[in-house]
Amino acid sequence: MLARVLEAAGVSTTSISLVREHTEKVKPPRALWVPFPFGYALGRPDDPALQHRVLRAALDLLAEPAGPVLRDFPDDAEPGDQPGAPPQASGIKLADTAPSDVAMEATQMRRYHEVWVEKNGGRTLLGLSGVPATRFRGVLRFLEEFGGGGEADMAERPAEVPLPNFIRYCADDLKTLYFEGHLAMKPGAGGEEIARWFWGETGAGRLLRRVRDRLDASDDPRWKAAAFGIAR
Amino acid sequence: MPRLDRLPQISRNNLLTFPAQVNETAPFRLPAKPLAACRLAVVTTAGVHVRGDRLFTPGDQTYRVIAADTPTVDIIQSHTSIGFDRVAIMRDINVSFPIDRLRELVARGELGGLGPNHYSFMGAQREVARIESQTGPEAARRLVDEGVDLALITPT
Repeated sequence: MLARVLEAAGVSTTSISLVREHTEKVKPPRALWVPFPFGYALGRPDDPALQHRVLRAALDLLAEPAGPVLRDFPDDAEPGDQPGAPPQASGIKLADTAPSDVAMEATQMRRYHEVWVEKNGGRTLLGLSGVPATRFRGVLRFLEEFGGGGEADMAERPAEVPLPNFIRYCADDLKTLYFEGHLAMKPGAGGEEIARWFWGETGAGRLLRRVRDRLDASDDPRWKAAAFGIAR
Repeated sequence: MPRLDRLPQISRNNLLTFPAQVNETAPFRLPAKPLAACRLAVVTTAGVHVRGDRLFTPGDQTYRVIAADTPTVDIIQSHTSIGFDRVAIMRDINVSFPIDRLRELVARGELGGLGPNHYSFMGAQREVARIESQTGPEAARRLVDEGVDLALITPT
């Protein structure tokens, strides 16, 4: 849809498409359908050669004399064999035990996370809550209190950000801290493996399940939406 | 993939009931110049933006401007749907927003250049009327004013 708007305004477009069924209906001017999972539009992270092949195939469509054009990217071996979507918390069995001291666990993860950031030239997705990793204990206390049914809030929450949205950002940052930290511990780990570890074996995963349950128990649709975004 | 028949039931149903627009034809404008002379901008629905910029919320139909010279390390993503594997973009932002790859194409002379700004919208939108009537055309006008010939549209 966006491609059509831009094209009509005078900018030639080429799109990468993940859901062929939708692209067939919407009919952007030019689209390259790629056989990759959501989150992998250009093929695979840290694989510049594959990313360049996808990019080239998308740009090649600009030479087509007429449209709409919908072409399939030829590769369908890898990484298309990855699961189409990550496993969800409700489908992951809890381990018999998990660290009960989440603050201690998170401090350990923060060290791994520092390794990750260092290794990646400063790149991290952490930063939605606005609370730096060095002050993450405050975020944990806030989430613990909220998950336990208390009247929790944080001074760092901007006035224009509603409480459930802020909780979601804190939860997203907590996941990022653990997921990226896990990547530092085990560089080859995939999304499914990390999700199973996070939701099944960590104290933080249990904490977010409690936060989700409290949000979901509310009648307020904004709270329910935040619950749906944290875990399902 | 994501081949619908290989997705979990909940994702498949979500996609099958997605209110995709149905069009019979498409606007089509041939680029006036060869690629090596064209200026390109990325328009993404990955919900990425400059660190510190206003975060996206689900259903947000506004856009963020990402200056083309923004260091890659300063770009984050507030589209955090648990319907996709975020580990890919944690490892490498180019998997959704191929900023380094495009800079390489320009350096190699295969692409003329990049526009001064890239544009980012939120993904997983079921309601897009405002993007279609207002924020999309606004971004398009900005691209035209910035002398951009081509837009590469990437999802997440």
